[in-house]
Amino acid sequence: MPTITIFKDDLESLLTGEGGVDRGIPMAQLEEWLMLVKGELKGHNPETGELRIELQDSNRPDLWCCEGIARQIRIKQQGRLKPYAFFAKTPTSPHHLIVKPGLEQVRPYVAACTAKGYRVTEKGLAQLIQTQEKLADIFGRKRKTVSIGIYQLRNISFPVTYELVKPDEVRFTPLGMETAMTLSEILMVHPKGLEYGPILAVQSLLPILRDAKAQPLSFPPIINSREIGEVRVGDDELFVEVTGTDLRMVILSLNIFAANLADRGATIEPVEVRYPTSTMLGTRVKTPQDLGKPATIRMKAIEQALGQELGEALVKQALEAYGYDVSAEKGSVKAKLPPYRHDLMHTMDVVEDVAMSRGYAEFTPVMPAQFTVGGLSAIEQLSDRSRELMVGLGFQEIISNILGSPDQYCRGMRLEGTEWGRTVEVDNVMSLSFSCLRQWMLPSLLRIEAASSRAFYPHRLFEAGDVAIPDGTHELGSRTETVVGALIAHATTHFSEIHSCLDVLCYYLGKDYSLEPLQHPSFLEGRAGRILVSGKSVGVIGEVHPEVLERWQISMPVVAFDLNLSQLLS
Amino acid sequence: MDISTLIDSLHPLEIKVLTTLGLRPSGTALDSEQLAGAAELEASQLSMAVEWLLAKSLITVQTETVTPIVSLTKIGEEYHQTASPIERVLAAAREATGTGKRLTIPDLQSQGGLDPSVVSKAVGRLKKEGVVLIIQGGCIETTGRPSPTAEALRTLLEEIHDSPKELKSFPEAHREVIEDFAVKRGNAKEPFRVDERVARSFILSPDGAGAAAQLLTQGVAEEVSQLTPDLLKDGSWRQTRLRKYTISLRPPRIGTGKKHPYREFLDTVKTKLVSMGFQEMRGALVETEFWDMDALFMPQFHPARDIHDVYFVKEPSHTTAVDEPFLSRVAKVHENGAETGSAGWGYSFDVHRAKRLVLRSQGTAVSARTLAASPHIPGKYFSIARCFRYDQVDATHATDFFQVEGIVLGEDINFRTLLGLLNLFAREVAQAKEVKFLPAYFPFTEPSVEMHVRHPRLGWMELGGAGLFRSEVTLPLGVTVPVIAWGLGLDRMAMVALGIHDIRELFTDNLELIRTTRGLF
Repeated sequence: MPTITIFKDDLESLLTGEGGVDRGIPMAQLEEWLMLVKGELKGHNPETGELRIELQDSNRPDLWCCEGIARQIRIKQQGRLKPYAFFAKTPTSPHHLIVKPGLEQVRPYVAACTAKGYRVTEKGLAQLIQTQEKLADIFGRKRKTVSIGIYQLRNISFPVTYELVKPDEVRFTPLGMETAMTLSEILMVHPKGLEYGPILAVQSLLPILRDAKAQPLSFPPIINSREIGEVRVGDDELFVEVTGTDLRMVILSLNIFAANLADRGATIEPVEVRYPTSTMLGTRVKTPQDLGKPATIRMKAIEQALGQELGEALVKQALEAYGYDVSAEKGSVKAKLPPYRHDLMHTMDVVEDVAMSRGYAEFTPVMPAQFTVGGLSAIEQLSDRSRELMVGLGFQEIISNILGSPDQYCRGMRLEGTEWGRTVEVDNVMSLSFSCLRQWMLPSLLRIEAASSRAFYPHRLFEAGDVAIPDGTHELGSRTETVVGALIAHATTHFSEIHSCLDVLCYYLGKDYSLEPLQHPSFLEGRAGRILVSGKSVGVIGEVHPEVLERWQISMPVVAFDLNLSQLLS
Repeated sequence: MDISTLIDSLHPLEIKVLTTLGLRPSGTALDSEQLAGAAELEASQLSMAVEWLLAKSLITVQTETVTPIVSLTKIGEEYHQTASPIERVLAAAREATGTGKRLTIPDLQSQGGLDPSVVSKAVGRLKKEGVVLIIQGGCIETTGRPSPTAEALRTLLEEIHDSPKELKSFPEAHREVIEDFAVKRGNAKEPFRVDERVARSFILSPDGAGAAAQLLTQGVAEEVSQLTPDLLKDGSWRQTRLRKYTISLRPPRIGTGKKHPYREFLDTVKTKLVSMGFQEMRGALVETEFWDMDALFMPQFHPARDIHDVYFVKEPSHTTAVDEPFLSRVAKVHENGAETGSAGWGYSFDVHRAKRLVLRSQGTAVSARTLAASPHIPGKYFSIARCFRYDQVDATHATDFFQVEGIVLGEDINFRTLLGLLNLFAREVAQAKEVKFLPAYFPFTEPSVEMHVRHPRLGWMELGGAGLFRSEVTLPLGVTVPVIAWGLGLDRMAMVALGIHDIRELFTDNLELIRTTRGLF
């Protein structure tokens, strides 16, 4: 979900034109239009006209830019997309980009085009760079599958060659540096080399784009040459290339870029890429290229999903006003996505576009009418009953994090190296405070007790909730069980006070229990017991060991029990 | 209030004080000490009775005298035990002069473990008294004269050590020394402390005199404060006067048994959902990536599956096996859509990755498991599931939190019934009459909706997200009817209801806060 920064006047100028809008769009209108692109306005600076917009749809990279947002709104205003001529055009003498053998194993695909007649403005340049970054970063998975380069066209002699070279064979001055460097130096020294170098980590030969005069354009996907690959305000002839590991994604990214530049007034000239071996599109691939194929969708599927009869004409109208190329037939529509989109995986994706194009407000809500019986799970019922009883016994309920630290759950309880001290641990620890799941409830209760010595006594606390108990025989390596834990703290508390509470709880839960003496490091010896129901261990009870209290810096006697409700139920 | 009503409401302690004063000639003032002695009361009992009587205007304060009292501080006790700095400096100087050693101020500071400022003060004092001289090179030498300050200090330390004394009991010269060496603001390291003892004397007010006179003439009736079983058994309560209470006083505070306000909030949500026909689902805190994400058609390269977004489990890191036929079906759907009518994501599905254990990152994992376990059709399900997000913890992000989410399955499920259900949630859960539906994106639903509602107190807020589960989710799990997936974001509502601004306070460790939060929803 990228968040982008655009300028309101830039958006407005992209919206003007045939059927366009006046300057000074009210913000309320803008926010409504943003629904068309699943965009949320995150910030607006009225002085600079800067807008921060979050785009929700991670499958619509074409919308992650000012041009794309404007385009989607414009299509809705105009009722249909004005086709981009360059997708259809077959240039008579196109520029060539020659791919040399060997790249199949490194970064096989490339697409490119030229754009003339758009003079780059300051805001336009910022948008070009932002789009380049967002596409490569999010859609291109941090340049791994897609990366993009933009160059001044006038310095390039065609054909351009995409090939592999030895790491020390070629030198050029990369963007952001003053001196020429070899590719291996760039990987070792340049910030972008350090950041994106791992993509090429195992390669002995490295990719490079060079023109007919053997001038390096760039070292994809790392960095452009400073001489050719630095676009400045005022430039009006550009060369754009995309390299990557997935041909469809590479071409789609170029299509988006070409459409964006065309929207800003540039004339796009396709480039013919010549591969040494055949790709899914052959050896000679003209780019940009419309890869879309029409899909036939039954009207019934659309209408059923939307719960509304619309008819072919309305569906056609809605899809066209969202950019599709549509022909209606009886009982179905044939719809093709515009060339800058490639997110049609399933009929339902079209259904959503119909709904969005018409506007969600066009659909009257209907209550689902089918009868169902509501209810709580058995464990939740038992837990709720226990909670009621604990409240009746005068206990204050608390609620705690489940993710905590070994200090809390293990060391603080004197359980290091014991079976009771085992927890489900996190592998990718960010902070020790959140590195394991609680395996019983007592530490959660002590957490409150330790922080509350100033709250008036007695303290009677309980919590009912989930714990994770490591269990090698379970498929998930642990069992999630619901337990209720209770604690009493005051100057004269003792075992029988908490025992009485457990006694009442078990009585009303209808469980005959007995206690069996237990040696447990968290409790005082001779004052701790295992709670048994039908011979099965379902919990522990006792006077908390003074050393545990010391570790928690608690200076009040504490007695407690921990009763496993899941075990009681099973 | 007439006198007899007044007398009835008096506490026995109050009666004792009133009659003690009433027995003395009219206008006699007694101070606290005298009153306690004459009425045979403990100091604490007396002070309670006096405060009550003052509040009822039955006695008034006649005089208030402030007496400065000198006592030793902890440092003073130390000086008493060992020696004061001035004594130590003097002793060191005498020894140096006697043996001819050189002694400088820095020497004193380093050898004695004394604070430099304390040393300077002591030397300054001795120099002023002519007891020591600072000769060339900063060396200290004694003149042989005695130091009045040192001697006065020693005497005072001895005298006050036993018990605090009134300042005025000391001669002028000693009082000056005390002032000089008393704890003051900004200088706590002194041996003496001067506190002010306030002594008050009391006389009866005209009302008090009347009450005392009546009490003395009628004699204090046999009065009890507590109705007891014995009084009831033998009927003697009829002859007993039960003291009337002053019931306007605040009662003592007691701790109560009570649910946690946030749990109470979740309980109301739970009850609402059950009343709308939803059946509760439960799931595990530890899940496989398969159920947490793969089954929800989130591709394995999805950014939300990154190491910085999900907590991975250390040991065991993987489950032994994921249930078939679900694993192979989901794998195929990811790869090419299989029989779902989808094109799939077009990548090679990693079965090992599917087995990776994580801390449940979304409640939808519980729904996915339910879909695979032959749910009722039509059916409505919900869960209130604890989930874990790998996030920097701050006022709006918690590492573990509750997600309220669920599913609705049925032949009549479509986009419009989805909106209808959301309307119901808006009305029932947020008491909102106005609702706005916005297009949204979730990896597992299409179409997807975000619901904004106008809450009666909070104004427009996002209440939740929902959508129709993609066929790529439902078909591999064996469900052929349309399914709504929904989730509600309730923490903001809960936080407002509980009056807190930081999400971490939902799980606060502050017992006083938990005890005093009302939690009205």
